[in-house]
Formats: sequence, structure tokens, C-alpha cells
Amino acid sequence: MSTALKDMIRNPTVAELELVARYAALKADVRRERLFEAFAQTGLPGRRTEGWRWTDFKTAVSSLDAPKAAPARDPLVRDAVTTLRFTPSGYGVPKALPAGVKLLAKDEVQAMGGAEAAPLGALAAALSGGKTPATLLVDVSAGAPVHLHMVFEGPGAINAARVVFLLRPGAELHLSESHLGGAALSAALVEFTLNKGARLNRTVYQIGGADEAQAVTALIEQDASAASVQTVLAFGAKVARIETRLVHRETGSKATLNAAYLAGAGLQADITTHVRHGAPSCITRQVTKGAVLDGGRGVFQGKFHVPRTAGQQTDASMQHKALLLEEGAEVFAKPELEILADDVQCAHGNTSGQLDAAQLFYLRQRGIALVQARALLTEAFIAEALEGAGALEDVLRAEASGWLNHAA
Amino acid sequence: MASMLKIEKLSASVGEGEEAKAILHGLSLSVPAGEVHAIMGPNGAGKSTLSYVLTGREGYTVTGGTATLDGADILALEPEARAAAGLFLSFQYPVEIPGVPVMTFVRTAMNAQRKSRGEAEISAPDFIKKSREIAKVLSLDPEMLKRPVNVGFSGGEKKRLEIYQMMILEPRFMVLDETDSGLDIDALRTVAEGVNALRAPGRGMLVITHYQRLLDYIKPDKVHVLAKGRIIKTGGPDLAHRLEAEGYDGVLAEAV
Ligand SMILES: Nc1ncnc2c1ncn2[C@@H]1O[C@H](COP(=O)(O)OP(=O)(O)OP(=O)(O)O)[C@@H](O)[C@H]1O
Ligand SMILES: [Mg+2]
Repeated sequence: MSTALKDMIRNPTVAELELVARYAALKADVRRERLFEAFAQTGLPGRRTEGWRWTDFKTAVSSLDAPKAAPARDPLVRDAVTTLRFTPSGYGVPKALPAGVKLLAKDEVQAMGGAEAAPLGALAAALSGGKTPATLLVDVSAGAPVHLHMVFEGPGAINAARVVFLLRPGAELHLSESHLGGAALSAALVEFTLNKGARLNRTVYQIGGADEAQAVTALIEQDASAASVQTVLAFGAKVARIETRLVHRETGSKATLNAAYLAGAGLQADITTHVRHGAPSCITRQVTKGAVLDGGRGVFQGKFHVPRTAGQQTDASMQHKALLLEEGAEVFAKPELEILADDVQCAHGNTSGQLDAAQLFYLRQRGIALVQARALLTEAFIAEALEGAGALEDVLRAEASGWLNHAA
Repeated sequence: MASMLKIEKLSASVGEGEEAKAILHGLSLSVPAGEVHAIMGPNGAGKSTLSYVLTGREGYTVTGGTATLDGADILALEPEARAAAGLFLSFQYPVEIPGVPVMTFVRTAMNAQRKSRGEAEISAPDFIKKSREIAKVLSLDPEMLKRPVNVGFSGGEKKRLEIYQMMILEPRFMVLDETDSGLDIDALRTVAEGVNALRAPGRGMLVITHYQRLLDYIKPDKVHVLAKGRIIKTGGPDLAHRLEAEGYDGVLAEAV
């Protein structure tokens, strides 16, 4: 490796050096270089990186040794729905695609806006490609609603993937994603442009082991009257970050960003969102619910940015509620409203606490064992965050319930 | 007849450490199988405390004495194990459980109890059939059973829902803590009929109440007066009439 390359990251760790080597082995491309440089500014983000204080990839990813366990089972895969699979050796493109969908695999790396603000998104983009073309573009046109499923899974050292969606005016996409881990470091970048009146329903399921790191970064840009509903169910990993950066860039755009996280011992789940109200009269609704066991960690960071002129008539609400199910559970939350416009409706709430002792006793008096009573109450507690998943709501609830009745 | 529930010199306190407050002071009482006993007593005497100590609520500490059900110690068991052993409490203040529908809750409870006794789960159709029959007896609107447990229920509806659960779960020993408070006259009769339907040679009941009226419908075999954490007097059904007429002053004075 040349000295110039080695110096890209200051005081690199073993894992970071390996990331540099992987980058160097890929086909040279100016945009790839720019993206890797954006990542290299921070390297693997950690305690000293703004916005990553509680989610320390630098320490967690000490090497890129493949994890021992196989990837988790995929509860969202359905026979009737076309599946795109992303693994450390590239992606598989199905032969048959639903009507209204075009796939374009591009050798050239695509530019990514705001790469510096999302270092692991930039890393995913910089390292994607190799055996398969660098960028997968998915073009969805208006017509009947389109259903797609994407799976991201190992095994291997690094699973870097990038998909770019374009929803043409009036298009409707129902997308489910399963991030199942199985690689030492999984970094996925999923980008969406929603043209006028387009609709996106995105469901994200994430699960990982205590020896792997996962970062799922989504960038969403919405034109006039576009609407998105996002539902996340995250079980965490050694470190896991589900980050969504959304821009309302034209009038009347609407977004719902809901998430539930359940973190057991040795696992961490981070839900981070950044929403910019870059046009008047846009709506954002956000509900995040979490439950954490002894030795687990939950992180919620939500930010609404409402600029002075562009953000007028913004209507936005952010709610985060967490349950510390056992002593030794940790939850860190940072809700932030940066409101510079004066004619806005913005509300936020943030609480963390324990299950209600009177409710628990009532259930146990009726013969329901402690673990099951706790599961029943916790499932009811997080239910609101899963309501937007439509047909997949029941699947997510069943996964949450299964975890609560066994792991918890 | 052998005692089903036998409480001997039971002492208990509520709260932890410095805050702990002794409430029960050597309470003794026994209910033979097949009998219904009433407990009456002034506010704050320790009646609800007794019901919580028997069912194992957190925050209550037994400081002395014993309580057995059919000869087996119940005080060492987890609350759910006591329920599986057949102990049921109709709460003075039933708890609201947002997000958990009544039917889901009761069926989960029933199957949990069956499982811990090594019995098979009840099938969904069988459960629904049973639930419908009981709801009808108690004039409960079946729509109510789809709503979250007790959320937005009126005081009387909550009490009727306690009896609905009791009739479905068919416990062997029931403690009814002021189930009559908050019930209108018709509901009182319906609930009493439900309770009477559960009277059986193998079952026992403790009925905590402030009013003679309930005891007109559920005829107790014995009436106990609980005051200051002890049973200070035990008598026949006529004791309830005497208390209704005279208040507690008389019996309290006799007990000193
Ligand atoms: N958590 C607690 N902390 C402190 N004191 C308590 C607590 N719970 C109960 N007590 C006290 O214990 C005493 C007995 O209460 P309990 O509820 O058993 O009375 P009761 O006989 O059921 O009264 P009522 O007829 O009003 O229902 C009361 O003085 C009450 O204030
Ligand atoms: Mg009471």
C-alpha cells in the first residue's frame, strides 16, 4: 500500500487499514475517491465523532474477522415478492421483475449528496462494486403499486451495498429490507428520490450478532406531495445504526418515520434520523419505541431542521419512549428541534422508564409468568411504532413477541 | 371439615427498609372447602393488604406466620404459581392494560395456567364459545371484550370484568375485594349470581365487603371482622346485620 493511501485516515486501526486496502483494490473512479475521502475524514466513527458518541464503530470493529454465527433467518421474504440479495460478493438480480420496475447496474460510481454527514453511508458507496457493478439503480414508474424485497446478509468480512431508487411521479413502492448481518461489518446505503406524488412504504428489519457491526443509511428526498412511511424493527448488533436522512424539498410532502428497537445483552441498536423541512407545508410524524435488557443499549437521535423561510407551515412531531426492562439496561436519547421559522407546529416528547408494577402484578395474578407478562406489556408498548408496516405489521409483531418471550 | 385456606398468625408489612409499615399483626383465619366467608372491617384495617399478601404482590413482606392452601405453603410461591394453584383475586381497583385486548389477555392467562398444570391449551373456538356464554350471564357487551383490558371501562364494568375472568378461569379459591362497590343494583344481583354459580364443595371464597347487601345475595357461612391488622371477631351471617345496624364501635370495644 502506498504511503499516501495509508495516510488517508489518521491513526488508523487494523480494521481501517483493511478498509483502505479494499478501497485501493477497486477500480479507480473519481467519485469513488471522493466518497472514500468523505469516509476517511472520520474513519470508522466513534466516541469523538459528532453524532456517534453512543455508537462507537471504531472500538467495536477492531478487526474484520468474519463473525462465527450464520446470518439470521429472514422473516420478511415472501414467495410472491421479487427479492434482491446483497452479499459480500455482490448482488443478485432476479430474472423477472414486477411491471413498472427497471433495473440498471452501473459500473460508474454515483455521486452522493452530504457524504461527509453520513460516513458509513459514504463507506458503503465507496466500497460497493467489484464483482458486480458499483451501483444498482431501480427505476419505478407510475402504475400499480410495486412490491420489492431486499436482503443484506453475509457471510464474510465486509458487506458493502448501495441501491438507488427513483420513484417517478405518482409511482408507489412497497419495499421491505432485511439486514441480517453475517459479516464483520455490513454497510448499506439506500437512496430514494420521490418525485411529485410518489409514495414509498419502507419496512426495515435488522438483526445481528454480538460480534458484528451493521450500518443502514437511507437518504430520502421528496418532491411536492410525495409521501413516505417508514417502519423499522431493530434488534441491534455489537453496534448497529439505522440512520435516515430525509429532505422535504417541495411543498406538501409528508413523511412518517417510525421505529422500534429491542436490545438484549451485549447488543446495541441506534435509531438516528435527520429531517429537513426544506419547503413550506410539509409534515413529519415520528414515533420511536424501545425496550432494552440488562447489558443492552438503545440510542435514539432525532433532529428536525426547519429553516427560516423555506420551513413555514411545517407540521412535525417527534416522540421517543423507552422501557428499561432490567437493571443494567441503557438508553441514550437526543431529540433535537432546530426551528428557525416562526409559523410552525412542532411537538416532541422523550421518556424512559420501567414497566408498571401494578400492571405486571395484575397479569401475574391471573397466572401469566413474569417473562410472558413482561413480553405482553412490552409488545403492547411498542405496537404503535409498527402500525405503519401494513401487511408486514403482523410479521414484525410476531418477531418482536418471539424475542420478548425468549430472549427477554 | 378440613381447612382449604388456613392463615395462622400472619404478620406483614408494606414498603421497604425505613419506610416499611407493619399492617397485619398476627392474623388468623381459616376457610374450609365449600364455604364462603365474609370479611368486614373499617377503612384502612388491612383487608386489601391481606388479599395482596395472599396473592404475592411485590412490596409486601411477610414478617411472621403462615398461609396454606390445601396444606401447601403458598407464601413462598411466585404470584403466577399461586394463580396456577387456583388462587384468584378480584381486585378492589382493577388495573388498566392499554394495548392488550381482554380476550387476548384472558386466553393467555387461561393457557398459562393450563400449561403449568400440564394440561392442553384451550382451542380458540372453545374459548370464544365459553367467553360468549359467560359474557351473556354477566350482561357484558361482547364488543367490550375486544377493547384493551379495563381501559375506559366504567367502575361497574371493571368489577363485572373481574367476575367474567373469575368465571372463565374457574379458580379453586377466590378472594373478592369489594367487588360490590361501584355496582348498580341490577349488576350486584347479576354478579352475585355469577359468584353463587361457582360455589362448589371443592371451592372456597373470601368476600371482602363493607355492605350487608352483597351478603344478602351471597350467603356467607361465617363473617369475620378485621380491624387493625387482626381478626377481632368471628360470627354467623347475623354478625353482618349487627355491624350494619351498630357500626364497628361495639365490636371494637368488646375486642379490647
Ligand atoms: N404502599 C403503602 N405504603 C404505606 N402505607 C400503605 C401502603 N399500602 C397500604 N398502606 C396502608 O395500610 C393500611 C391498610 O390498607 P388496606 O388497603 O389494606 O386497607 P383496607 O382495609 O383494604 O381499607 P379499605 O376498606 O379502605 O379498602 C392503610 O392504612 C394504608 O394507608
Ligand atoms: Mg381495601
